[in-house]
Amino acid sequence: MAVYFISDLHLSDSRPDINQVFFEFLRGPALQAESLYILGDLFEYWAGDDDLGDPFNHSIATALAEYSRSGSVLRFMHGNRDFLLDGEFARACGGRLLDDPYALDLFGKPTLLMHGDTLCTDDLDYQKFRVQVRNPIWQKGFLALPLDQRKRQIEAVRQTSESEKTRKAPEIMDVNPAAVEATLREHAYPRLIHGHTHRPARHVHRVDGRTCERWVLADWYRTGSYLRCDEHGCAPVQLH
Amino acid sequence: MVRLHTNFGIIELELDPERAPETAKNFLTYVESGFYSNTVFHRVIDGFMIQGGGFEPGMRQKPTRTPIKNEAGNGLKNGRYTIAMARTSDPHSASSQFFINVSDNGFLDHTKPNADGWGYCVFGKVIQGREVVDKIKGVKTGKRGSHSDVPVEDVVIERAEVI
Repeated sequence: MAVYFISDLHLSDSRPDINQVFFEFLRGPALQAESLYILGDLFEYWAGDDDLGDPFNHSIATALAEYSRSGSVLRFMHGNRDFLLDGEFARACGGRLLDDPYALDLFGKPTLLMHGDTLCTDDLDYQKFRVQVRNPIWQKGFLALPLDQRKRQIEAVRQTSESEKTRKAPEIMDVNPAAVEATLREHAYPRLIHGHTHRPARHVHRVDGRTCERWVLADWYRTGSYLRCDEHGCAPVQLH
Repeated sequence: MVRLHTNFGIIELELDPERAPETAKNFLTYVESGFYSNTVFHRVIDGFMIQGGGFEPGMRQKPTRTPIKNEAGNGLKNGRYTIAMARTSDPHSASSQFFINVSDNGFLDHTKPNADGWGYCVFGKVIQGREVVDKIKGVKTGKRGSHSDVPVEDVVIERAEVI
């Protein structure tokens, strides 16, 4: 059996094509997997689990619930967009939220899962923002606001973030090599799987004389894809 | 050129003996000895590749000849519809099993001459019957014994011939 990894789908009600690819993925290829790990940014944004009543959010949660009921294990990690996903969403889908990073044994090979944003240490503005929004006290305060107001605030942040992206040098939006090395060292030289940077690739790192494979997951902007790992190793697979 | 007669249709392969001399020769030896007759594509993953040349129907593995040297450093890329040798984690362990890439699988290309970067040796490409490959990649697959992605209905290479 295989384990599948996806991330950076950025699902929203404004991209019906890719939503359809996702629904078909859950009803088709994903059923072959014993586990499906969604490593962050399943959603373009998430205003709070009380937004599960939104028809679009509901349709995604329902599709995931159907998937997990079919017998596959479903796991989520927060992304930089949907970091407010919480227990109620996970329960509605029949899945579970994982810590970032999360270590697991994958067919006998120690593997570390991350969203990947914490590796982009050169983007200081973002890291500052991350510290703020991942603070439980900030989150509690934010979630206490009415849903409408939260959505308006998120929209404002997204606008700023989009305009800043064009200003930022491309290299600061990629992972910092030293941060990758430190992570690999800290976790005893695992295979690393992460998303976030939208630069799908297989990298091989030599750290302290040890070799570590790093897989970067593809986003779901133009088409869907997943990383498939089994006892033979990992391979990115395109959906069409 | 090599012609594979499958129960899904004919696939014609053009080998590249200049870039992959030992690999092409090895493949031709298997073809000429009739080794591939009544073998199956036993690992089919749509969006990735279709692999065969080592098992008979019923997932009975066939005894092979000695493994060959990995010539993946020849510059040929694991592009869509190319054929490459399958192997274990040992770079120099290919024998009879091969796969046809059904996507551009650049991560399989040679990067470094070590266990992690050796890659998978491309030695030819499909020049006729790409639609047969497309049909095979879409078959329903499941688990059979310890193997995943095994076609539910056998995809059989009835015979292979050099043309």
